[in-house]
Amino acid sequence: MLKPWLYLLPALVLLGIFMYRPLLYTFYLAFHKWSMVPGTEPLYVGFDNFSRLLANKSFADSIGNTVFYTALLLPFSIVIPLALAAVTHHMEGRMKNVYRALFFIPMILAPVSVSAIWRWLFHPSGGLVNTALMKLGLIETPIAYFSDPSFAKWIILLITGWKMIGFSTIMFSAALTGINSEYYEAASQDGAGSMRQFWNITVPLMSPMIIFMLTMSILFSSQWTFAYIDILTTGGPYGTSTNVYYEMYKFAFSNLNAGFSSAASLLFFVVFGVISLLLNSLSRRFSFYDN
Amino acid sequence: MKPFMKGTALVLAIASAASLSACGSAAESEADAAAATAAPSQTELAKLDPANPTKVTFYSYSLAYPTMKPGMEQLIKEFNDTVGKEKGVVVEGVADTTMQQYKADISAGKEVDIVQHPFGTLDASRLSLGFKAYEDVFPKAELDAHLQGISPNALELGKIDGKMYGLAFTFSTPIVFINGKLFEAAGLDPAKPPKTWAEIKEASLKIKAATGKDGFGLTPTNGWITEGLILSNGGTVLSKDRKSAEFASPESVEAIETWKDLYQNGASAPGTETELVEQFMAGNLGMYASSTSLYSGIKKASEAGGWKVYGAGMPQFGDKPAVPVNSGSVLAIRSDTPEKSAAIWEFIRFVTGDRGYTIITSQIGYLPLRTALADDPNGLKDFVEQNPLYRINLEQLSHIQPVAIWPGEYATEAATAFTDAIVKSVMTKDGDVKATLQKAQDDINQMIQ
Repeated sequence: MLKPWLYLLPALVLLGIFMYRPLLYTFYLAFHKWSMVPGTEPLYVGFDNFSRLLANKSFADSIGNTVFYTALLLPFSIVIPLALAAVTHHMEGRMKNVYRALFFIPMILAPVSVSAIWRWLFHPSGGLVNTALMKLGLIETPIAYFSDPSFAKWIILLITGWKMIGFSTIMFSAALTGINSEYYEAASQDGAGSMRQFWNITVPLMSPMIIFMLTMSILFSSQWTFAYIDILTTGGPYGTSTNVYYEMYKFAFSNLNAGFSSAASLLFFVVFGVISLLLNSLSRRFSFYDN
Repeated sequence: MKPFMKGTALVLAIASAASLSACGSAAESEADAAAATAAPSQTELAKLDPANPTKVTFYSYSLAYPTMKPGMEQLIKEFNDTVGKEKGVVVEGVADTTMQQYKADISAGKEVDIVQHPFGTLDASRLSLGFKAYEDVFPKAELDAHLQGISPNALELGKIDGKMYGLAFTFSTPIVFINGKLFEAAGLDPAKPPKTWAEIKEASLKIKAATGKDGFGLTPTNGWITEGLILSNGGTVLSKDRKSAEFASPESVEAIETWKDLYQNGASAPGTETELVEQFMAGNLGMYASSTSLYSGIKKASEAGGWKVYGAGMPQFGDKPAVPVNSGSVLAIRSDTPEKSAAIWEFIRFVTGDRGYTIITSQIGYLPLRTALADDPNGLKDFVEQNPLYRINLEQLSHIQPVAIWPGEYATEAATAFTDAIVKSVMTKDGDVKATLQKAQDDINQMIQ
């Protein structure tokens, strides 16, 4: 009886220390006020953090932006990568790897240096983008993308999406190699064109991976945008490009209010929990496994 | 299976929450006991032992910026090599890029002894991070003797409720940097810079018309010059007793509307702070309102680009004198033993002494708060003569006013709400400045009252 538990022990200990203890501690802190300074005690405040949170304007704004980022990242994490993976799949020889490397390289670049490059590209006075648009006569005065509320979050989205494409493409390419090529041969003998093959063979057989990437994209989009928000706009101008994760980070590590931040995390734990349960059931209904 | 597992884990999790909370408080009460041993007030400092030096950590944002790093490093090194060696103190500098590191390290229980601390959040830090008042840690006689000669206006700025929680350290007042080349190209004389906001607008548009480059830049997110702008027009930001926000008065609204007019009519370059610095240094911006602390970097860039930097003081509204505010930092201290206090005191005496300010001004670019140094041949006389820009700043120092130190617990939220309202007012073309500021003021007052 003991033996199976011993096998599980390392995993359970690691999960316990790095996942469940912090999780529970967050639950505890959400009802307390604490600045995380050693020598001070968390003070029980009941539901104060929650009422203060719901009255906080920047937090309310950040929820809208989070939905914006989550929804609009989907083309970058599903649609475009799926097309790229399918197109490069049938390529032969070296070019296949060259293309895949091109898509994947953004993924392994450090966010800080990537941000610096994008900042120069979009620079209001000397940036390539403004210069090009002005030469083409599309705009008359340069645009300050990162301090213009109508552009800032779109640029953040674009940069995050550009990085996401590589990761998803690799995942989809890997899933594609797992599909038995006999299906395609049989289908083409029956006269199915390449679009038909894509919709009736590729998509159904890829469904577990598609739903997995959908889950990843929805649950992690807020984290993926974090670095660019922090480096390029710090959530501005006036909170128009921030998201909930960035706000939580500011509550905890800039305002030093661990309880407040925990309360926000707790709310999102519930929201994202519900979403992931939904996605889980979606996965059971729509995933098709070719066993 | 999976959802079931998650459910079980959740139940288990909630059940054991209580035991974890107990675990947290045990560790804290130990630290509490340690903190309690520090004496609240002393008449004499503890003895230091040169053979067995006391280590002190110094968290500095200047160490994290390429333009300021060498100067700050020189300051620390010179202290360690001279006074530190003789008395038995070793100062270890810690670069703090975002001014968050000291908070994180204090939270993690590391020794954070001296912090180059910004003004706006000093009260919050005092309340939550265990910073101490100078009067409670250092002997009064020593303190009084050392503070002689430091600009009294500057000393006032680190005081909260009558006690000094920060000693004025690196300071600057707003300055309008001027690109001489672009000025001359527009037929303007950089030696006779614009004095009022109206003149700034005129000059800026002239530069734009003549060179195609932006004439003036002040980022809406700058944070502190905004406050000078409001004060210069007779407005206020925070009430005297620091109990209510007061930035929606007609004077404040008028000041922000003037700025909005510049911004919306092409007389103020758009972009973030980083982008504007880059633009000015690249020689593509006629005037740039910012802090003198950028001077050493800007001077190098101008030499490389073949143009000359000039400067002008904070612009005024009509004939009302401008009210410059300060940016920069104080030294905030957290000492827990008498030896630490003595060691910290040696460092503070050095860096805010004559030699310290000579290095700070000539190597970094901040103002010498011992203003007499500017006329002292052994101090900064030569330097100030070669860099007349500093005269402008030193003159402003005499009528400087503090930036708002937002009260306690809601300080960062209040500061964010204020800045956001300003940015929104200036950047939204059809927005109503009065309504935006009024709303933010009400929100902040609801928070802090």
